Amino acid sequence: MRRRTFLAATAAGLALPAVSRGQDKKVLRFVPQANLANLDPIWTTLYVVRNASALFFDTLYGVDSQLRPQPQMCEGSEVSSDGLTWNFKLRTGLKWHDGEPVRASDCVASLQRWMVRDNMGQMLRARLDEIAAVDDRSFRLRLKQPFSKLLYALGKVGTPCAFMMPERMAKTDPYKQIGEYVGSGPFRFKRDEWVPGSQAVFERFDGYSPRAEPADWLAGGKRVAFDRVEWRVIPDAATAAAALQSGEVDWWETPIPDLVPILRRNSGIALDIADPLGNIGDCRFNHLYPPFNDVRVRRAALMAANQADYMQAVVGNDQNLWQESASFFTPGTALYSEYGGDVLKQKNVEAAKKLVAEAGHQGAKVVMIVGTDVPIVKAQSDVTADLLTKIGLNVDYVATDWGTVGARRASKEPVAKGGWNVFHTWHAGVDCVNPGAQPAYYTTGERAWFGWPKSDEVQGRIDAWFAATDQAGEKSAVRELNKAEMDFATFLPTGFFKGYQAWRKGVSGIVRAPFPVVWGVTKA
Amino acid sequence: MLAYAVRRILATIPVMLIVALFVFSLLYIAPGDPAAIIAGDQASVADVERIRASLGLDQPFVVRFGGWLWRILHGDLGTSIFTNLPVTQMIAQRIEPTLSLMIATLIFSLVCAIPMGVIAAWKHGTWIDRGVMILAVFGFSVPVFVVGYLLAYVFALQLNWLPVQGFTPLSRGFWPFLSNLILPTLALGGVYIALIARITRATMMEVLSQDYIRTARAKGVGQHAILFVHALKNAAVPIVTVVGLGVALLIGGAVVTESVFAIPGLGRLTVDAILRRDYPVIQGVVLLFSFMYVLVNLAVDLLYTLFDPRIRY
Repeated sequence: MRRRTFLAATAAGLALPAVSRGQDKKVLRFVPQANLANLDPIWTTLYVVRNASALFFDTLYGVDSQLRPQPQMCEGSEVSSDGLTWNFKLRTGLKWHDGEPVRASDCVASLQRWMVRDNMGQMLRARLDEIAAVDDRSFRLRLKQPFSKLLYALGKVGTPCAFMMPERMAKTDPYKQIGEYVGSGPFRFKRDEWVPGSQAVFERFDGYSPRAEPADWLAGGKRVAFDRVEWRVIPDAATAAAALQSGEVDWWETPIPDLVPILRRNSGIALDIADPLGNIGDCRFNHLYPPFNDVRVRRAALMAANQADYMQAVVGNDQNLWQESASFFTPGTALYSEYGGDVLKQKNVEAAKKLVAEAGHQGAKVVMIVGTDVPIVKAQSDVTADLLTKIGLNVDYVATDWGTVGARRASKEPVAKGGWNVFHTWHAGVDCVNPGAQPAYYTTGERAWFGWPKSDEVQGRIDAWFAATDQAGEKSAVRELNKAEMDFATFLPTGFFKGYQAWRKGVSGIVRAPFPVVWGVTKA
Repeated sequence: MLAYAVRRILATIPVMLIVALFVFSLLYIAPGDPAAIIAGDQASVADVERIRASLGLDQPFVVRFGGWLWRILHGDLGTSIFTNLPVTQMIAQRIEPTLSLMIATLIFSLVCAIPMGVIAAWKHGTWIDRGVMILAVFGFSVPVFVVGYLLAYVFALQLNWLPVQGFTPLSRGFWPFLSNLILPTLALGGVYIALIARITRATMMEVLSQDYIRTARAKGVGQHAILFVHALKNAAVPIVTVVGLGVALLIGGAVVTESVFAIPGLGRLTVDAILRRDYPVIQGVVLLFSFMYVLVNLAVDLLYTLFDPRIRY
């Protein structure tokens, strides 16, 4: 008896690692790009919130990797011949994580909340005559003028996405945070295990019924292989790299370029480009005050800029990670154009210096606000400081943190009263595939994005894109828009860059996308 | 002594009020805007202003401070601007890792530093003394994060003995709890050991030159008893003072250590909150740290009576 007890105990002990390994295969440990401080993807447009939301919220439509909107929660839609009435029908069997069925009224309320905050949503709202539920599974949009980008707007991956939530949540003021996290996506959010700044846990939702089509970004059947997805927030890059090497985590969303060579040397780790649509750097001018209220000075900056300098400062010498691009739009996408972009290819400091002098701004003071805690911002700022000095401007480099830049850039006051002349940021390439979702392109003056550029010419080209009904029309509009933006020098695009993602080799199915796509991923 | 302790605890109330006013004022005038961070990079100025208004950040100083103070007096530290969670809940989530790290570091440091200091004083001028002092200078000079990375590289990545990062609560088992704490404790303990070892050595050297120590030796008292019974007890008051003062060092060090080892403690909570301008969280955590510091000082004062019976309150 004792011998049997001993053998049974030993067998149980030996079996434990196997059980543990089996359980481990069902858990994906993921290091996100940043801390997940909240989960309201409408209230905040932070990408990390969008990425988490994509796990537990769902969308009516979702773009695939070709950026085509495909039905997701919707069975489909019908549009009237005049383009003014859209009828949407939901798939059967859709459920919220609290077990309630998804109703059309939930979707109507969700769209109403989203429309207040999203750029394309605001375009839709301006054209909207009525939105109403027809029955539990159908709702209708009646427009005052056609909006051919409607399905793209509903399915786009740029923030804020049109995520659906129950009506009681969607009724929340879009400028206030929702108080509960109930979605209808493939995972449910484990609020009881959420430790902001440390971990967020998503548990498989058994009531989710994926579409029949293969998964492709936000489109298709979101079939998941994991019972749990654990987000481990590791703010220190070196620690995240070490955790990946030691097998404590499975997938790291944003390894920094400096650590990539170390990860490459580890045979247990795979690396690939994360987002094929990458990012576009932005040196943003304040159009309200000298010297950048003068188009000649802005053009001079574009004329002198060498994007290679910017990109090497941002991501290093790895040629897979960057390219020069004489465009405001994302290279490799359908509407991409470099028309009018010759000014960015000149790299002529002397001509630029002459132009600044001709404009009467030689030696003019330029206050550049720099968030030194964000490496991409800091790197771009250093290059710009050198560039502007070379063309005859007097740069006041205000080193601070991004939190301060975020507040100060909203100031429309002159620099003497706390304003600014230049700051840097970058835009996700997915938001730069067309002018629809990118506020940085807009030149509506006081209503425009930071810097408040005003140009009827540029704005007219953006309107032309919205009015275009086919891809040829869209291409033509974007081509002309790129030229108009270059002529007006709305901002200085500092180049196109990408980043890597890294994962343990036991994990497979990871794809290139603008957000971490968990469906289709498995772990050996 | 009980009356003294009660008086001291009551005296913390005005101290905490002054700290509260100071912290609130500092944050009020500090640049930065949580609304801009919440709204995200794509948001318009109008969006940021609407969010700021919805958070009540457009209210005047007096209204905001008054409301905050009123809530504190009712035991409510407020709600995080970002997470929408009560600050007390966020602190409760984070206090175990930080306290564990601080207590482990304190125990480890005292166990190492006091014998080091005593032996260095005893063997004053020898290679042992010089060795201890070199170690102390090294511990003081090398930044915590450098030690942390080196320890993680050797013990986690190369030897695979310990985890690189994270924290496991004690409720999930002693070894998992300890294994996550060993490297951070070693990293954070370096500075503290150096500090305590140096003060122990200096104080012990002074005590060992006293007449009563010579008398004890003349009476034939053993070396061990002289060092650890007669001398150390009389050297304890300055050592305890430094240990107490060093708690501030530990709090500061915990911020760095928690970042290096991804420990979800109060240090990281503070840094995250500062970077995001999450005012209620910053205010709550600073108040808590101030309160802890006041309590530690009280404990130090009370310990004086234990080591030196001449001290009476």
